[in-house]
Amino acid sequence: MAVLREETHTEEAARGSRRPAGGGASALPPAVPSPRARSHWPKRAELLLLIGPALLVFLAFVILPVVLAAYYGFFSWSGYGAATDFVGLRNYITILTDPAFLEALSHNAFIVVMSLVLQGPLALGIALLLNRKLRFQSLIRVLIFVPYVISEVVVGLGWSLMLQSNGALNGLLEKVGLGGLATDWLSDPSAAIWTLLVIITWKYVGFAVILFLAGLQGIPDEITEAARIDGASYWQVQRYIVLPLMGPTVRIWAFLSIIGSLQLFDLVWIVWGQYVAGTAGTSTMATYMVANGRNSGSYGYGNAVAVVIFLISLVVALLYQRFILRRDSAVTTTGGAH
Amino acid sequence: MAIAAPLASRPRRRRVSEQSRRSSLISYLVALVLVGLMLAPVAYIILGGFRSNSEITVDPSGFPQAWAWSNFGDVLASGSFWTQVLNSTIAAVCTTVFVVVLGLMAAYGLSRYAFRGRAAVYALFTAGLMFPLTVAITPLYILVRNLGLTNSLAGVIIPQIAFALPLTIIVLVPFLAAIPNELQEAAAIDGLGRLGFFFRMVVRLSLPGVITVGILAFIASWNAYLLPLFILNGEASYTLPLGTQAFASQYAVDTAKVLAFTSLSMIPALVFFSLFERRIVGGLTGAVKG
Amino acid sequence: MRLTKFVAGSAAILVGALALSGCSAGSSDSADGKVTLTMWHNSTTGDGKKYWDDTAAAFEKANPNVTVEIQSVQNEEMDGKLQTALNSGDAPDIFMARGGGKLADVVKAGQAMDLTSGLTDATKTAVGNSLSAFEIDGKNYGVPTAVLPSGFFYSSDLLTQAGITDTPKTIDDLEAADEKLKAAGIAPIAVGAKDAWPAAHWYYNFALRACSQDVLNEAATSRNFDDDCWLKAGENLESFIKTEPFNDGFLTTAAQQGAGSSAGLIANKQAAMELMGAWDPGVIASLTPDEKPLADLKWFPFPEVPGGDGEAGAMMGGVDGFTCWVNAPKECVDFLNFTAEKANQEAYATAFQTLPASTEAQSSVTDPALKDVLAAYNDAPYVSVWLDTLYGQNVGNALNVAVVDMFAGKGDAQSIVDAVNAAAAKS
Repeated sequence: MAVLREETHTEEAARGSRRPAGGGASALPPAVPSPRARSHWPKRAELLLLIGPALLVFLAFVILPVVLAAYYGFFSWSGYGAATDFVGLRNYITILTDPAFLEALSHNAFIVVMSLVLQGPLALGIALLLNRKLRFQSLIRVLIFVPYVISEVVVGLGWSLMLQSNGALNGLLEKVGLGGLATDWLSDPSAAIWTLLVIITWKYVGFAVILFLAGLQGIPDEITEAARIDGASYWQVQRYIVLPLMGPTVRIWAFLSIIGSLQLFDLVWIVWGQYVAGTAGTSTMATYMVANGRNSGSYGYGNAVAVVIFLISLVVALLYQRFILRRDSAVTTTGGAH
Repeated sequence: MAIAAPLASRPRRRRVSEQSRRSSLISYLVALVLVGLMLAPVAYIILGGFRSNSEITVDPSGFPQAWAWSNFGDVLASGSFWTQVLNSTIAAVCTTVFVVVLGLMAAYGLSRYAFRGRAAVYALFTAGLMFPLTVAITPLYILVRNLGLTNSLAGVIIPQIAFALPLTIIVLVPFLAAIPNELQEAAAIDGLGRLGFFFRMVVRLSLPGVITVGILAFIASWNAYLLPLFILNGEASYTLPLGTQAFASQYAVDTAKVLAFTSLSMIPALVFFSLFERRIVGGLTGAVKG
Repeated sequence: MRLTKFVAGSAAILVGALALSGCSAGSSDSADGKVTLTMWHNSTTGDGKKYWDDTAAAFEKANPNVTVEIQSVQNEEMDGKLQTALNSGDAPDIFMARGGGKLADVVKAGQAMDLTSGLTDATKTAVGNSLSAFEIDGKNYGVPTAVLPSGFFYSSDLLTQAGITDTPKTIDDLEAADEKLKAAGIAPIAVGAKDAWPAAHWYYNFALRACSQDVLNEAATSRNFDDDCWLKAGENLESFIKTEPFNDGFLTTAAQQGAGSSAGLIANKQAAMELMGAWDPGVIASLTPDEKPLADLKWFPFPEVPGGDGEAGAMMGGVDGFTCWVNAPKECVDFLNFTAEKANQEAYATAFQTLPASTEAQSSVTDPALKDVLAAYNDAPYVSVWLDTLYGQNVGNALNVAVVDMFAGKGDAQSIVDAVNAAAAKS
């Protein structure tokens, strides 16, 4: 390791290839100045044509529902006809004081944290190990990604059949003599949440691995080679060079993982159903919303829950963008607009 | 240090190859274990479809004794399975086509034009990532109902397009911004305005990114459950995930057949993905690089 | 240019998709006098499904200008899907209803057709008293097809095997019988708590014993569980649960789907008895290994629980029937009258192995267990509809969830009362 002030190959190489904006998801690249070309259309009309349709569909079917949800959340409404029974903030107060909702919220929080903790290091380790010229590399990548591609319905049905008290997993454990470990994976409150985490990890770790592999392949070989030449060991290279350069990728993945964990619905609904999710300790805010909203004929209340979930996601996302992703964007969103 | 490098490289190469062979072995082992774990449940589902119900009850984790093709045959012969495949296909293809077209146009506008409110529009689309479908479903359902689109594929397709736009635009904007100005200037010299440049050249240049977002949109639509659950009432309009669920509850007593149905419903997504796998990873690499 | 072809192609696909989707949202009437009736029922397999197909065909034959399109919906999904359909203005013409508060909510929203003038005298005489379950504010909104009192369906072989000679008459008898069954290595009682309502039925019956008829009916309007008897019912149930009478894994046992369901357990002799409505013989028959009725299936009523305000012999019982959508063609009422005819009701009783609503057809019931049910039903001083039906979707759902929580050890008698009283705030 160079002790002298002389710049090592590593730093030199890294300086040369550092990319301006690492976190693509959060930074709007500066507008490319349009060449003064002979435009056949006025610029405004072109913009309308280009952005208009997408914006229209988006406003109508994404933004409008959120506004509607906020509106209906102030009513008690059975879903038929117009909403007429204005109840003000009653729905929101009920939600925030309902032990069932707070329990679901705690489950979501637990899943957010544990997904990051379990999947992150695991996927990173796997990606590092797989980031070399292996035979069948394509095939391996395809096979790891398979769980992500399969629908949640299939995953839920398959796993719930496997995990029944008299199902394949317990059967297998007994066959290899570990019958003592066999338990009721689905309805035992102390086991169920971990079962859920296992299923989630199984489904999404492949996606993380592929994402990290993409990030690793974006690190030029010259940097790591230069470090090796300077005498760094494999682990030192990973720790001081690779991991920091993987930062933006990891942070984007973490963002997607957090948002996904907050919205979790399909898997829980299919494996546990609306009642068992409550008793087994795997309910989420989304299952609470469907169980207490649509399935109870209480559409005003259901909408209010939706707004609460949205606000929670928004706050988390904004905090994340402000404190974590800010580091990645050298250019902020104000650049280029005039 | 810099001077010593060329001399040191020769013995290093031998050491490196030993080390790399050992770590390659570890890599293969890890890959094997990982792939095994990933595929075990899938194998369970597929093999289960080949067994009989009594086999499953007696020995839940065993292999098929006699390969019962009849389960698969029955599912393939049933009209409802193919109706659901058709519905899923229509929904996924329409969603993908429009997501790509609208998303590409919007991303082009956002990345290569400077106008007031540009950042605001971009932020609006980004904020869309925080309004997941799960949350919006209750009011969205009411909206779709008021438009008279319940129990129709359009009622599923249009919202899916809307919810897929944020991610699409966010992935495509860096791609399009990276197209060199020189190309646009050259096109201008040839007489192409901004729009002409878009239609003639940009579409082709951004193909890797387009394919990536297209595939992600297709898979998301194919596997969608919550939206169709709320919107589609009649059996004739079910998509495959809904149909799988309905089949599973209806024929719960016939576990083997349920597993066969489930296996068959996995296949289209798997085939599609394996065909385009390289593009997906390539596209993700581009997006991550920013 | 390639792109224009591309855009044109996608436009064509979208138009095609919209056209296709337009096809699936069908309409009931067409201009040439041909009428289509859409019908949703909850028999997804076996003889029940066949019964409706046959009956619809017979009706079509008698009314050549009418076509009946049937869709069978899984029972557990019926409420949610029906709600969605009614909300969307695209509801089936004929749909399942069970009366009570749930029907009242639909009527209040103006979604049910007033059948008072359309019912024939023959229908009224045939189904008699059970018609009242579908009466709201003096008007009639549905026709019953089955009366389904609640009680214990049990395997007499298993009880004999455990040395039980008499069916339990009081709750203490029941607990004693459970002990004997456990000693003989048999799971005493199967309950499908995964679907919530089977567990809730236990509470309904305890409430039936603890509360007077007036209190039960009064709660339908007040939607409130203020009377002490509700708490008492919960406490009785709680102490019963503590004796651990249920099958293993009852929290994830479904009610009627598959061999692992509570009905399946009875069908395969893996549990001795279950508390169910009178549809059970039919469901059990479809889950036995040879798909034939269980030969030794018998019945006894819910035991008496001392110290309550309920009259002895009172029964909890649902009424299954059908309602017409407010926008359905008038032939809908004709179809409902048709279902109440003696021959059709007798066929219904055979297909579903249950008690038909029509008193004329009830004499055709031969199954010994069902005959006992019928006798108890006719002797009962009063019969109450299932409480979750009686009190409407919102309160009913909250009640069912709270009972399941108690079964899981997560709640107690007080929490059931609290949940119901809080349900109004969640509506």
